[in-house]
Amino acid sequence: MATAPHHGHDDHGHGLAHVAAIKVLLATGGTLLLLTLVTVISSKIDFGGASINLAIAMVIAVTKATLVVLFFMHLRYDRLFHSVVFCSAILAATLFVGFTLMDTDQYQQTNIWNPTAPPMAPVGPRAING
Amino acid sequence: MSTSHDAHADDHGHGHHGSPFVQHHYDDAQHQFDSGKLGIWIFLAQEVLFFSALFVAYILYRVHHGEIYSYAHKWLDVKMGAINTAVLITSSLTAAWAVRCAQLNQRRGLIFCIAATIACACGFLVIKYIEYSHKYHEQILFGRYFDPCETPGGNPLITKSNDCPGRLGTVKWDFGAGKATEGCFESSTIDLDPREPGVQAECEVFEVKLGHDGKPEESSKKPITNVCAPKIGHGEEWEKNKFPCWMPSYQPAVCPDLTDPAKRAQGAAGRPQVGIIVSYGEDDHEHRPHSIIKAECKKPAPPPAVDLTTEVEHHKLELGRGLAKTHVEEHHGHDLLYAGPPPEHTNMFFTIYFAMTGLHGIHVLVGVFVFIWLLIRAIKGQFTPDYFGPVDYAALYWHIVDLIWIFLFPLLYLIV
Repeated sequence: MATAPHHGHDDHGHGLAHVAAIKVLLATGGTLLLLTLVTVISSKIDFGGASINLAIAMVIAVTKATLVVLFFMHLRYDRLFHSVVFCSAILAATLFVGFTLMDTDQYQQTNIWNPTAPPMAPVGPRAING
Repeated sequence: MSTSHDAHADDHGHGHHGSPFVQHHYDDAQHQFDSGKLGIWIFLAQEVLFFSALFVAYILYRVHHGEIYSYAHKWLDVKMGAINTAVLITSSLTAAWAVRCAQLNQRRGLIFCIAATIACACGFLVIKYIEYSHKYHEQILFGRYFDPCETPGGNPLITKSNDCPGRLGTVKWDFGAGKATEGCFESSTIDLDPREPGVQAECEVFEVKLGHDGKPEESSKKPITNVCAPKIGHGEEWEKNKFPCWMPSYQPAVCPDLTDPAKRAQGAAGRPQVGIIVSYGEDDHEHRPHSIIKAECKKPAPPPAVDLTTEVEHHKLELGRGLAKTHVEEHHGHDLLYAGPPPEHTNMFFTIYFAMTGLHGIHVLVGVFVFIWLLIRAIKGQFTPDYFGPVDYAALYWHIVDLIWIFLFPLLYLIV
């Protein structure tokens, strides 16, 4: 990392910022496309519960997001302060979700329907326009 | 302060690197670039917070009403979502490559990469348009506009507005095929349980006038035919003399937790019901409140006849426009997850879907215009290794748009 900014300098003297290597860009893009395929396929497989499938999908999504941030957005080679700015936004968003969910189970169940006569929308042939 | 200002005044504000776009109020190109970069990162942080509000809505609603998500996502086309993800990742790659080209002074590469990014962004919007317009036609929309024509499994639903394109006048319900077909219903038979072979009931439907004492007058019993008006084109008038008519309606009940087989097996879960729907023509509508609909159904001969007669007061059961329904019989059914009508408040899924993908789509649209502006500047040759900030900043913005989609795709399309 420490040498990364110099790499740009060595190449062209100007070097306002790190220049991404083609190999890195292509590898990142390829991995992202591959992970997209993996996440679609994994959604078709039952891993033993909807929450496990959700966890797998989220792990893949976070991995993809990390790849985008580190390599496409150059955060790996960028100033630390930009990482601080971005991570604090993620942290704030996490707190936002966390505080909202904090009282999830603190309320009585709301009966939205009578179990013996659940509400339903009719299924069948289309009603005729009267 | 004043000395540095003087130094720049001597320079005519263009620094030492020659780019005319390095402003005089920066020390040098690096200073300008870094200031812009910090600015865009703070903007991106704000974007994360902006979208996080919608993610909170999504998560909160999913925690409380998971059944809505596991039902409603079946309306979304995974193939479309996956293609769009790939398109957006490709555009992110070309955007990152564009920055590299600008840094290395590769003007042709820069123009090509920016153009490719614009093309991918437009491709994304076209696919999104196809998805949205399909949902618009099927009335799979947000809030009170959620009034779908079909279940995700393809079973027709009776909609509030009954305005599904190309489906007006669908009067034949083919239980064997599990779908409605066009034309007239030819025999007065109902398959009460589509999973059992054969027809289980024959029905006759009558309209009976109510006397002054409020009791039905048997003498006024008037059969209602199940030969409904033939299919006509959208917007045309119905042949009113053919009304009223009836048709059977198969309606599985909604269970609170359709995803749990144990709960589904017990209790209210997924019981299919068959009803009679009687439709009236508009001219018939006025003088009907004082009559009732009587459906007499029995199992067809070899099996012993069972009278399933029920009577329901017409005016109480009117649904929507001139539509009456009598409930005939209930049957226990299995695995009606996608055959059944949507759970209550399913519109919330699409409210959230359209809010999230809509806001994301607006970002893509803005990105298209930003990249067109970059393309024009790149063609003019305004980007040089000491002035490529706008390309870098736009690419960063584009990556965050990609990033949001990376989460939206599994959260909306790939629910199990």
